[in-house]
Amino acid sequence: MRSSSLALVAAIVVAGLWSSRAQAQPQPQGFAVERLYPSAPGGGWVVMDALDMRGGLGGVVGMTVGYAHDPLRVPTADGSHLALVARQAFADFGLAVTYDRYRLYLNLASPLVIAGDSGTVGGYQLKAPAVDVGSNPDTVMDARVGFDTRLLGTATGPFRLGAGAQLLIPNGNRSDYVTDGTFRAMLRALFAGDVGSFAYAGQLGVHVRPLDDAPAPGSPQGSELLFGVAGGLRLPLGAEGAASLVIGPEIYGESAFKSLFGSGATGVEALLTTRVEGTRDSGGQVRVKLGTGGGLSPQFGAPEWRFVVGVELFDHSGAQR
Amino acid sequence: MRHLGVTSGVLGAIVVAGILLTSVPARAQAAPPAAHEDAAFDIMNVLAHHGLHDINEESWNAYGQFTYISSWKLPFQAPYTNANGSINSLLPGGEQSFTGTFTLFLGVRLWRGGEAYVVPEVIAERPLSQLRGIGGSIQNFELQKTGSETPQIYRSRTFLRQTINLGGGRRVEKTSDPMQLAAVTGSRRLVFTAGSFTILDMFDRNSVSWDPRQTFLNMAFMTYSSWDFPSDARGYSWGGVAELFWDEWAARIGRITPPQNPNQLPQEFRIWQYYGDQIELQHDHVLLGQPGTVRLLGYRNNVDTGRFDDAIAAVQANPMKNAAACQGFNYGSGNVTAPDLCWVRRPNVKLGIGLNLEQHVTTDIGVFFRGMYSDGQSEVDAYNPADRSLSIGAVAKGSAWHRPFDVTGIGFGASWISDVHARYLAMGGVDGFVGDGHLNQAPEGVGEIFYSVNLFKALWLTADYQHLVNPGFNADRGPVEIFSGRVHAEF
Repeated sequence: MRSSSLALVAAIVVAGLWSSRAQAQPQPQGFAVERLYPSAPGGGWVVMDALDMRGGLGGVVGMTVGYAHDPLRVPTADGSHLALVARQAFADFGLAVTYDRYRLYLNLASPLVIAGDSGTVGGYQLKAPAVDVGSNPDTVMDARVGFDTRLLGTATGPFRLGAGAQLLIPNGNRSDYVTDGTFRAMLRALFAGDVGSFAYAGQLGVHVRPLDDAPAPGSPQGSELLFGVAGGLRLPLGAEGAASLVIGPEIYGESAFKSLFGSGATGVEALLTTRVEGTRDSGGQVRVKLGTGGGLSPQFGAPEWRFVVGVELFDHSGAQR
Repeated sequence: MRHLGVTSGVLGAIVVAGILLTSVPARAQAAPPAAHEDAAFDIMNVLAHHGLHDINEESWNAYGQFTYISSWKLPFQAPYTNANGSINSLLPGGEQSFTGTFTLFLGVRLWRGGEAYVVPEVIAERPLSQLRGIGGSIQNFELQKTGSETPQIYRSRTFLRQTINLGGGRRVEKTSDPMQLAAVTGSRRLVFTAGSFTILDMFDRNSVSWDPRQTFLNMAFMTYSSWDFPSDARGYSWGGVAELFWDEWAARIGRITPPQNPNQLPQEFRIWQYYGDQIELQHDHVLLGQPGTVRLLGYRNNVDTGRFDDAIAAVQANPMKNAAACQGFNYGSGNVTAPDLCWVRRPNVKLGIGLNLEQHVTTDIGVFFRGMYSDGQSEVDAYNPADRSLSIGAVAKGSAWHRPFDVTGIGFGASWISDVHARYLAMGGVDGFVGDGHLNQAPEGVGEIFYSVNLFKALWLTADYQHLVNPGFNADRGPVEIFSGRVHAEF
């Protein structure tokens, strides 16, 4: 009798808790929404890596500024979208040290604006971020520390194969959509080459991402496959080709292993990129790059459109090709 | 990171490095970086020694530091704490506080005379009593108003600097230092700085005492306690500074952004409407064969703050306008009879003037003095609630006892509040830091003594003792004894 009463009370409590949980609208905490992982300082392309490290001890410093429109749209039941993150701009400061075929680098990005529309979708209460420089004058998003090396090929050869590893150190608030709140890592195989006037690069790798907020709409679903390819024409500029212009597309994306290449777990975007860069083997050089494009599959963090501008100063310090 | 390819060389060079002393290195929340010694262990010296870097004419440099400070406050006597719902008392029980910072100083030359700097920093901290109850003598200048025990990365400084050489009678060799690229310039030059920085990077420099990572810990010795320079809650601002160096003279002016609300992180970027203006005149001299410097600084803030007399008048005219009933930005007091600045914030002007002296007595011993008078009519906007302050002290390195790289110092500081400020606190009001609910007005004072032992020529261990009297400008409370230890490394 007594035990049955306890069981009844327990059942009522459990039922009550269950119903209260079912009635409450879960509110995702946010995550690192940015899907543009700029190439390492000195990497050449906007996203891909030219793997052209060479020479003695050299260095690169750079700044990249980007804007993404509608990088996080959540499909609603009526077929429209909630632009949970509608505007996102960042400034990324990077520096790298290169030696021979190795590169060690650090990237620190600060949000300039992150804003969108709040709403309720699929029973989830989604709160848009509201970040600007005034309210967050010194915020830094996840910091990136990475190491790249060229394993095969010469700095300007027709085929170069390399490998890269990055550690993303969590920083900032999840509710600002600047971080997952966990450490992340990227391990990538990199390839690149120059064949006459044609330059190309690509990557295939793994984004080790512990955060899996599924089924919250638009959220990360754990570790991801990274892929990308770029190709373009290299045109000499200036006297004796002291600089060159490279123009061509970069296509890249990611897909959660949990639902590999599934429509709700894959984002793909393309940028038409142009860069002008010094080609001397010693002394200070400048690289200016511009990219504009958008999501081929504008979901899972791929924006409707974006543009990116970057400036780098680099020095190969007496490099010999 | 920069050890790439030269790791073995770096390891070898660690053992060789020299050291420095009173004109210290490293920077704090709002303290500027100091010079390094040519023989110090750091990455740039190591690269230079291996022929991989021109340390006399730099196109880039990178430095770093790590500092951990732990402070223990002993229990002290206090007849009341947070009386009548006030919230800003220093708690009378024993407490432990700490700060840990890790900083990178990255600089690059962009063009002739043009330089860019980025300074990311990681900080973790636990203040005493949530950084409440002490006025102009907070025991650790590294503490920030927005810190947490979880390490946070933030971008402390991002600025551009342009130097225009005007020649002059002598050649000035700017050494390779944190936030300074080595270069040769004239003794007459114009320097423009724009971006985000702490105003202490340019103003109120004092080569004897301005580095909480190497010399005194207490804020009373880092700059004028009563200089309410606008900044965010970490101590940084956006703005611009112009400096003219003319042989032994220097003059500088600057305008910087204030916080949107007093003592908070968000910045007010309408700098034409809300701002802090600073002006400083500096003269270098030689007295009895030893160098010294005199600096005169004035500031004028035009910021959104509350005046004490307005707050008092408001609650007297309408008792419903008390601290507990605040609706706008406020500090959370629950005192239902106290005035509060939340009711009266509007654009207000705050003024102050200060004198900064430094003088080397011998090569190894320097003394300093700072004194400032601020008008004391309105609340603290960004720094601390003191309205007037004095500090004096001496710093020496240990050459006399055959420890030339050790550093020791002793200092005394005092800060006061204005009569109207005291009346506001006595009625139970609070500001950004102090307010016990009652007040027996008295100057807040601190005496500090430290000894810093150098180990391995790149690491300093410090023991520090501070004696605080009248914390929160209140003679009813204290005195307070604080013991601290510090570990500091540079690379």
